[in-house]
Amino acid sequence: MTATQPIRVTVNGRRRDLDVAVHHTLLDVLRDDLALTGTKECCLVGECGACTVIVDGRTVDSCLVLAVEADGTEIITVEGLAVDGRLSPLQQAFLDTGAVQCGFCIPGQLLSGTALLAENPHPTIPEIQEGLAGNLCRCAGYQQITEAVLAAAEAAQAGPTEVER
Amino acid sequence: MSRHAIGGSPARVGGLDRVTGGQQYVADIHVADVLHAKLVTLDCARARIISIDTSAARQVPGVRLVMTAADLPQPVPRFGPQFEDRPILAVGETKYHGEAVAAVAADTKDAAERAAALVKVEHEELPAVFTIAAALDPAAPLVQDPALRPGDPLAGTNVLREHHFGWGDVDALAASADLVVEGTWTFPMVTHFAIEPHAFMAAPDGDGIAVWSSIQHPNWLQKILAKILRMPLSKVRVFAPDPGGGFGGKQHVKLEPLVAFMALRVGRPVRLVLTLEETFQAVRRNSTEIHVRSGFRADGTLVFRDIESSYLLGAYADIADRTVTKGSYAAVGPYRVPAARVVARSILSHTTPSTAFRGFGNPQPIWAVESSMDEAARVLGIDPLELRLRNLARRGEEIIPGDTPADGDWAQSARKAADLIGWGMPLAAGRGRGIAFGIKSGPTTGLSYSTVRLLADGSVIVYAGTSDMGQGARTVFAQIAAQELGAPIDWISVVMGDTAVVPYDQQTSASRSTVLMGNSVLAACREVQSKVRAMASRVHGVDEALIVVENGVVRLPDRELPIVDVLGPGLGRLGGELIGNGEMRKEAEPGHPLGGSAAFYEFNCTAVEAEVDEGTGDIVLVRYVTVSDVGKALNPAQVRSQDEGAAVQGLGHTLMEHYIYDEKGRIRNLGAIDYRIPTSMDLPLEFLSETVENADGPGPYGAKGMSEGALLCVAPAVAAAVRDATGVVIRDLPLTPERVWQALQERGTGEHEGG
Amino acid sequence: MHTFAYARPATLAEAVALLDAHGPDARLLAGGTDLVIRLRDGSARPSVVIDVKRIAELRPGIREDSGRFTISATTVMTDVVADERMRHHFPALVEAAAVVGSVQIRNRATLAGNVCNASPAADTAPPLLVYDATVVAEGLGGTRRIPLDEFFVRSGITTLGPGELVTAIELPVPGRRMGATHVRRTRRRGHDLASVTLCCAVDEAGVTRLAFGSVGPRPLLRVDETGVLADPAAPAEARTAILEAMLADASPSPRSMRAGPVYRLAMLRVLGTRALATAIERLAEGESRR
Repeated sequence: MTATQPIRVTVNGRRRDLDVAVHHTLLDVLRDDLALTGTKECCLVGECGACTVIVDGRTVDSCLVLAVEADGTEIITVEGLAVDGRLSPLQQAFLDTGAVQCGFCIPGQLLSGTALLAENPHPTIPEIQEGLAGNLCRCAGYQQITEAVLAAAEAAQAGPTEVER
Repeated sequence: MSRHAIGGSPARVGGLDRVTGGQQYVADIHVADVLHAKLVTLDCARARIISIDTSAARQVPGVRLVMTAADLPQPVPRFGPQFEDRPILAVGETKYHGEAVAAVAADTKDAAERAAALVKVEHEELPAVFTIAAALDPAAPLVQDPALRPGDPLAGTNVLREHHFGWGDVDALAASADLVVEGTWTFPMVTHFAIEPHAFMAAPDGDGIAVWSSIQHPNWLQKILAKILRMPLSKVRVFAPDPGGGFGGKQHVKLEPLVAFMALRVGRPVRLVLTLEETFQAVRRNSTEIHVRSGFRADGTLVFRDIESSYLLGAYADIADRTVTKGSYAAVGPYRVPAARVVARSILSHTTPSTAFRGFGNPQPIWAVESSMDEAARVLGIDPLELRLRNLARRGEEIIPGDTPADGDWAQSARKAADLIGWGMPLAAGRGRGIAFGIKSGPTTGLSYSTVRLLADGSVIVYAGTSDMGQGARTVFAQIAAQELGAPIDWISVVMGDTAVVPYDQQTSASRSTVLMGNSVLAACREVQSKVRAMASRVHGVDEALIVVENGVVRLPDRELPIVDVLGPGLGRLGGELIGNGEMRKEAEPGHPLGGSAAFYEFNCTAVEAEVDEGTGDIVLVRYVTVSDVGKALNPAQVRSQDEGAAVQGLGHTLMEHYIYDEKGRIRNLGAIDYRIPTSMDLPLEFLSETVENADGPGPYGAKGMSEGALLCVAPAVAAAVRDATGVVIRDLPLTPERVWQALQERGTGEHEGG
Repeated sequence: MHTFAYARPATLAEAVALLDAHGPDARLLAGGTDLVIRLRDGSARPSVVIDVKRIAELRPGIREDSGRFTISATTVMTDVVADERMRHHFPALVEAAAVVGSVQIRNRATLAGNVCNASPAADTAPPLLVYDATVVAEGLGGTRRIPLDEFFVRSGITTLGPGELVTAIELPVPGRRMGATHVRRTRRRGHDLASVTLCCAVDEAGVTRLAFGSVGPRPLLRVDETGVLADPAAPAEARTAILEAMLADASPSPRSMRAGPVYRLAMLRVLGTRALATAIERLAEGESRR
């Protein structure tokens, strides 16, 4: 029988009380227990970043975090980026610059980009490339992803605008 | 409307789901009561299976099924697009590291994993071959049972096929060559590494079956499953959600039959999601040794090319022999070559089955041939770009006798790339430049049906069986419908990936979809337009011959109306919709070595400026330019996405990717830690992609296919730049810092730092 | 993944007691970037995993006290890199910590964990050796301070005793002005494991300290007190001879997938020479990095 442990997490602003298997990762729990399948599974060794989420303000590879470690934390997944159905400026920028191809790496890229901009609202291209280097993409030449982050940074500077969908 | 029109770059259709996490890949789809599957594999390449003990595995709580070959119909069905050689589960023997011997289905992933580890497979490792030399040794163990190739004289060898192409008399002309350049180039084993690992799911569906797969060819899968399961096609429903990257690795059937049998056996849905490591064991590109001998006149004119290629396939043929055919057929390059001889062998080995991979057998000979062009240029004292331009086929000239002639002004792409790289401009010290051309023929046969429904309010549903794995096919088809029928692009739904609902599409490969399915969608739209014309004639009492319907507009003699304004009165009280069907067919040409001539060519010129740190062997790509001849960029942003992505993927095999096998045929660098692909920090310092658009393609609005071109000649362009900067010639990939450093040591002189 | 019990002690005493009770069946969990991979591939099969992150005495932080910096065991790489005092006093350590994996990894991986994992390729090991780090360990027998050079044995093995856990890494504020740098060899510019990782520091008294890893079972520290290496005007042969002697114990594994031994040994020399030049330059510039 698998040992389980109760944890309390806030996911995308919503408090969740869960009983999780001790050996399950945060990735497992997000996808399987909470049906938040936006966070993806790929390498499972913390290399590809497809499983990136934000925990207490910092990006982590959720495949390397045991769910029990996340007890008491605030987690943001890709499903939590849009507010009241309105895309974040970064999400919109990804659509506008053509940064999205197959889409599988995109949730991770978005989380990394969101965290980067929160900490560094005016990043340079090398800073973006380094900030998102932990998110592998096999479809892209990466440049449009970088441009999306830059565009979102500029949009934020320009002040809030109505985001066109 | 202009933002959505052809040539605009409207936001990707399906993009919204991708940025919100709503996009459902096979692993995400919720199906009630689904069982989780796990494969059982051995820690060696080739082994005789003596016995399989599943008793402990079956005891694990939650386990519903442990399946081995003995549980399948006997003889175990085999399948494959070229040879029906691959069994559903290993029969009697595993033939490569990672071949499934058994599979478990359980209520939870944990139970499946635990049970899989408890399956005891008594086995005996057997001698095996993992290299070209070993496979060709007369004493080599055979990879494939000769009984699978009755009457084939090669059946007693590991040579699956030998292909011969050519024209003219190479030996006679060789004497007239002033210079003969000769060499052997190798290309490593690399894997696709799509970020989505392969995933498969099957569920009994009434008296039939429903199957979900990350497959690029849903109709092909349907056909194979129907045959193996002995069901009519109408009872085999294949759902093909957009794959998370394919690149060819998801073209053909892999584990769907196994999962289907499991689901039918337990009467419940079963899902198998591969780990990334299992994906590396499942698919790769052919590795090659290619010997090229080219003859030139003193003025640089090509006289002949003599090419001998060995392609190392895996344990099962998949579509890999076809890649050998296609790659070798056009191996001479986009040039006027008076005489050519190409001999190419597909050689089986006890390794991961190779399959289609972007470029489809072409990058390997292009690596060799373009590198040999560069060497010839040096010896002849002719500028490498000039040498190529001198021999480049002009529009309308044949490159391969009897096949489609050059279908573009390729020199234009070359000059554009040369311009952007600053070819001929003075170079800073320690830097070098390289340039290369790449060509690949598009589909040789094909068939795409589509249906377009114009609904009463002017909105549209397009049914197209293409697989959108990131290249943006969905968006392109929506743009065509928007262009033709006048609907705003977000009023267009594109339905794909369901064989019960979407009409037949042969496959998504060879960069064909914009041309083949695009023309099919265009034809369907035109049929709808003709129905609109008839309707307008009826509604407005005007002779049909005086009405033109195009670009979303109905042109009557005295005025113009948007199509939607005719629909209302036209459909009347009963309502309804207008349906159009399109068929785009490229028939086989019997007697043609490839089965048919090329629908179009992808032509690309890649130019590179590089610097080499001679102390460490690091290559710094200072500037990188890729120019593709695309006919018409229906969606420029997507074209750029694909070209840049292809270039970076090419930089992968050029600079860092390769399988590392041990002496027992096990892949040592399984997984993301030791198989390196480019990250955002590995880009060239300056990275430009451009297109040439002369509207001279066979696709809608003059489009050609694209998205493989920019990968074709990455390696020779980079190697040529390295040579230009340092003088070293390297004929093996990848150009890791270590390999470059070794070549520099062998060159001698140069800087020696430290000891 | 094999299952296990999960313990989250709130105090150091609790943690020590747990370790003592379970012995080798317990594994300590800090950032998890090494351990979780091992749990998944089965190379670690503990019966209990002890999460150190909520131990009151081990809250993440960098303290300065009487000429010594104490980096608590739960301090992650991101925080080491961001700390102004670290950048000022230990720039080569910051350079190294900044290349451990990706942002996501650095947000979890702890400095102490990198040390305890004892990979010969640990990027923070060479600068920690150069900067004379001490490992602070706590066990039933009390507190022990272990000079880092005496901590590493070989891959995965340290001199940490049974029932001990690392509570902090200590760094003395350098008594002399120094110029230092960390460099390494990787297969790509993106994040990677090093095939050679090296730190060199030169101080105003002419002492050169060189530490290197990924070329043998453990990271090594070598010191030149003759002043010859630190003197750019000294004859080249003399400097080369000393450098050679310092690198003589490098023994890279022939089985490595990252790079072959000949290349690694050559790169050791190339990087050593370049790092030395940079260290001398930085000392001359007289200012610490950023």
